[in-house]
Amino acid sequence: MSTVRVQAGYLPGLSSDEVQWQVLPFVQGDQRVEVSVPVLSPAQMGALAERVRRASVQHLKTLSVSEIISILDRAMARLLDRDDPYRMQADRLLPIVSGYDADMVRLGLTGFFKTFRAPQLHRFVVEDFANPKVLDAFQPAPKGGAVRAYGPQLLVHSWAGNVPALALWSFVCGLLVKAGNIGKLPSAEPLFAGWFARLLAEVHPPLANCFAVVWWRGAGDEGSDALYAQADTVLAYGGNDSLQAIQRRLPVTTRFLAHGHKLGFGVVSAATLDTLRAPAVARRAAWDVMRYDQQGCYSPQVFYVQRGGPVSPREFAGYLAGELANLQRRYPRRALDLAESTSLAKWRQSIDWQVTAPASESGLAGDHSVAGLIGDYAAAWSVAYTDDAQPLAPSALQRSILVAAIDDLSDAVSAVASRREFLQTAGIAATPEQLYHLAEQLGAVGVTRISAIGSMSMPEAGWHHDGRFNLLDLVRMTEIEQSAELAAEPFSSYET
Amino acid sequence: MNYAEPPDADILEFIAQDGCTDEQFDQLALRLFAYQYHANAPFRGFCQRRGATVRNVKSWRDIPAVPIDAFKAMELRCELPVSTERVFMTSGTTRADMRGRHFHPRLDVYDLSMTRNFAQRFMQGTERLSMGILFPDEIAMPNSSLAHYLALAKSAFGSDDSRYFMSPEGIDLEGLWLRLEQAERRGEPYALLGASYSFVHVIDALRQSDRSFRLPPGSRILDTGGYKGQSRELPLDAFYKALTDLLGVPRELCINMYGMTELSTQFYDNGNASVPSVKSGPHWIRSRLVDPATGRTVPDGERGILAHCDLGNFNSVSTILTEDVGEPAEGGFLLLGRAEGAQAKGCSLAVEEFLQSATS
Repeated sequence: MSTVRVQAGYLPGLSSDEVQWQVLPFVQGDQRVEVSVPVLSPAQMGALAERVRRASVQHLKTLSVSEIISILDRAMARLLDRDDPYRMQADRLLPIVSGYDADMVRLGLTGFFKTFRAPQLHRFVVEDFANPKVLDAFQPAPKGGAVRAYGPQLLVHSWAGNVPALALWSFVCGLLVKAGNIGKLPSAEPLFAGWFARLLAEVHPPLANCFAVVWWRGAGDEGSDALYAQADTVLAYGGNDSLQAIQRRLPVTTRFLAHGHKLGFGVVSAATLDTLRAPAVARRAAWDVMRYDQQGCYSPQVFYVQRGGPVSPREFAGYLAGELANLQRRYPRRALDLAESTSLAKWRQSIDWQVTAPASESGLAGDHSVAGLIGDYAAAWSVAYTDDAQPLAPSALQRSILVAAIDDLSDAVSAVASRREFLQTAGIAATPEQLYHLAEQLGAVGVTRISAIGSMSMPEAGWHHDGRFNLLDLVRMTEIEQSAELAAEPFSSYET
Repeated sequence: MNYAEPPDADILEFIAQDGCTDEQFDQLALRLFAYQYHANAPFRGFCQRRGATVRNVKSWRDIPAVPIDAFKAMELRCELPVSTERVFMTSGTTRADMRGRHFHPRLDVYDLSMTRNFAQRFMQGTERLSMGILFPDEIAMPNSSLAHYLALAKSAFGSDDSRYFMSPEGIDLEGLWLRLEQAERRGEPYALLGASYSFVHVIDALRQSDRSFRLPPGSRILDTGGYKGQSRELPLDAFYKALTDLLGVPRELCINMYGMTELSTQFYDNGNASVPSVKSGPHWIRSRLVDPATGRTVPDGERGILAHCDLGNFNSVSTILTEDVGEPAEGGFLLLGRAEGAQAKGCSLAVEEFLQSATS
């Protein structure tokens, strides 16, 4: 077995022999990666926070947004270059650490990095700020007076590791609002954020002290408390339990932005289900299921498929199963551990018993029912079909998907309406009229993002994560009211 | 082959004999499978969807293992219900209305399986012992397989002065202390049997009142079932150390029984001098470690989910898939706890957490 040892994190001002390290081992086949993650003392954490805060006042807050975008663009160009050492490292190690298929990771990273190039970042900023210059200086306000946006002095991130390089979203948001950034690495993917920090420092050395990437175990320790105590804003990803654990550690005056667990779903109109186009919709749906084995918050867990088209919902489920079988050959699913295997088995069983239970009462074996699991039980993907659309519930992930038949598109709305707190992405395949009609209804019950099926797992640049303003939520506005402006006038030298 | 009649008589005979060959085990396992396949329609559907039929199932390893959830979802039985049947139910740790049910039209197979095995693994040659039971009796808990098991232990192996130390208010600690003192005085070996969490309460009570006993040589303890949220969680090593320190029973004679409502046969270890201890069963039950997603046996030496083929399960299904993680060990397996559902790693949502949030 070949073992690669990597030191993770990014700790400006601290040499590696000053801090304690913990090794997180990752094994895929005959390859082993040992990632050392830093464990800082409360004093070290406090000093680090102070350093980052100071440096960002000096070197980051003095840059214009356009300058920051140009620095990020240069970093992205490096990451998009397959011969760049940073990119090569990511392509080599992230598949081992995450377990995802290497080609899937490579494709995913390229698609992801493309959304952080200069034109996309400018769009990202303009989504939240009609006049991006408010991030640089006071700008005239329509109501009179002037206004300026200030990012946090210290923005602390608690990142999730379900998808490789996911930290990039919030890290970039933090930089665009000129915050000093300290992020906590997720134990599931403890590499990318540290690399990105190093790369930025290489691309623009004055930024070297404006951010740091740290780690702590579980919900946190004394070190994390020392950091949280200094943060003015905390951005966290994860389950409600871990979010709550973080929130409990924060002073009430700290702004807490939480992104909890979500359930994605798709809706397929009968209008798209003719024999020519239905297979293409199913193929795109399969990509959304395949990408990162459904570990994204935007990944679909159920497709609601309308009856009445030339291709029935059951046939659509069959196409979807065929496409997932194809994708398994090109981008095989990651190996599951016992806990994941158990979850998957339980989900499949629950469908199995739903099929069997009513049939046993009528004395039939249940084999004539169309509902149930499609395909081989040992396959690395699962498609289940049901005639009866139940309220939206999670699948077992790992490429397990439920296809539920509906009569009317609004049946999908009823099925998801009770899950408001879990709603985010809906993929829709429908006519333009149906799209807008359905979007109205879905938006009203809590959906925040509607995409094409096939793009569910690839949010576009500048999307509003969970329906919030990625940048606007981070800043504080300072206004010069008209009264102040007017009151100042008489004191000018040229008025006297 | 006669599929209509359960092979009860053969099973009873099989349990009564001393050991068996692989062929003998397979032969009876396949006969029982053929019977259950024909008599139990949901089970037949389950097998058919996995491509398993009477024709291609050639060894006990080929019999599809039915997940224990199935005992909740449906009535898994071959014989029609009768008024005299006993129904054992799982404790239902999450939802009370979702309890697994195991139907026993007769208890002769269960009882023979229990007594044959118990005599060897717990009594170890002693015919009768004075027993104290730290669990409710069968009248209080008619649907508990453990209550029946312990009642059977008491009636078949307990001497006349054996008794329960459970009241509706909990363990009768004063009565228990008196009895333990008496055993110490008389120098007669004493046996304490009960749920693991009952022993945690005993340990806590002894520590609180700063008491301890030195039970006479030959005394022993049987605990089973884990803590189930009924007491604080105690690591295995601390648990058995406390039992030895506070009751004077050597860890070699602190025996843990691993049983399930869905089975008719139990597993035991040979004491808990070191933990986790190796568990093993009698010749009429066999176990394999599987990948639950595929149902296939895991490669040699790897961890897997335990699947048991219990010939004592004549009326339900012989082969069940547990939710317990096992590791192969010399002479049996190590029990490494329950396979908790996978935790979602980021902002996607895993089923278990969703259920928790939906019920909380």
